[in-house]
Amino acid sequence: MVAAWKAAGLTYNKYLSIAARVVRRSLKEQPRLAAERRGDMQLKFAKWEGGKQGEVKSLAKEPAE
Amino acid sequence: MLFRVARPALQRVATTSIRPAQSNNYATLREIEGRLKSIKNIEKITNTMKIVASTKLARAQRAMSESRTYGQTSNTVFDKAETKPLEGGKTLIIVSSSDKGLCGGIHSQITKAVRRKLLETPDADLVILGEKCKAQLSRSSAKNIVMSFANVGKDLPTFAEAQTIADQIFQLEKDYDNIEVVYNNFKSAISYEPGSAYAFSEETIKNSANFTAFEIEDEQLVNLREYALANTIFWALSEGHACEISARRNAMDNASKNAGDMINRFQILFNRTRQAVITGELVEIITGAAASEDS
Repeated sequence: MVAAWKAAGLTYNKYLSIAARVVRRSLKEQPRLAAERRGDMQLKFAKWEGGKQGEVKSLAKEPAE
Repeated sequence: MLFRVARPALQRVATTSIRPAQSNNYATLREIEGRLKSIKNIEKITNTMKIVASTKLARAQRAMSESRTYGQTSNTVFDKAETKPLEGGKTLIIVSSSDKGLCGGIHSQITKAVRRKLLETPDADLVILGEKCKAQLSRSSAKNIVMSFANVGKDLPTFAEAQTIADQIFQLEKDYDNIEVVYNNFKSAISYEPGSAYAFSEETIKNSANFTAFEIEDEQLVNLREYALANTIFWALSEGHACEISARRNAMDNASKNAGDMINRFQILFNRTRQAVITGELVEIITGAAASEDS
């Protein structure tokens, strides 16, 4: 039996991070401020082809596919 | 009148030797003063950096020991199942470094370790986290690089970042048999060594010696594999971060000590040169006074 999120095309990590984000946003004010820092992502990545670097994209804006 | 005939040579020698030497000494005095000022500034900067790194180190070490628990727990499954990396499969090497310098030789250590691994498996793919190792490795092995990540090491790594990195790797759609994460092992506050952690593919997990001890459905193996990779990346990032801060603290400590030594040496040299200049001026005055007395 395939899970709903798997059928929708999410990876396990993506599923976990969305669930974590929901939990973080549902906390009360004080713990929420501490928890939001754990969800911060500042990384930027670029794909390489044949020794050349492609364009740089920010991780946070990556689509949920 | 007598002195003008008797002492022309001495006068000439006196003027030729003292006047250029005097201007020489003033120029040298100013040079030394300039150097002294700049070294004092450098010492202040490196001292500040050392203090900042010391305060960051406590947090980073705590985060590192927490992430160790994650990584080791994640690896218990593979330890009990005695999973081994597949010989000669498609390999991916994830290089965990960072963007900032002034931290001693840790980035070069990692680059050397990765280059040694590339000698064994020349067609392994590279995913590089951090600008420093990217710059070094792109010079020697640009063709192996598949992806690079920037803005690493600015702050404590978060699990969300590790998850997204793992996701991006799986989105590459290249089925890797072995994934090896190269990072700096934090042995103590003064010793770090490059080490590797492994993440396995479904095939390798199924081929583990003790696999039958676990009750697991095949489709869960994909999830296990993705989650295990995220855990390993998070562990590597945390330890690497702690190593980098500790290395920066040591490097800035050494730099401050060296700057302090240089300041002492230059201060002594400055005083001596200043005294020599004063002595030279006195000699000139006295010679001139003695010469005019004779007349």
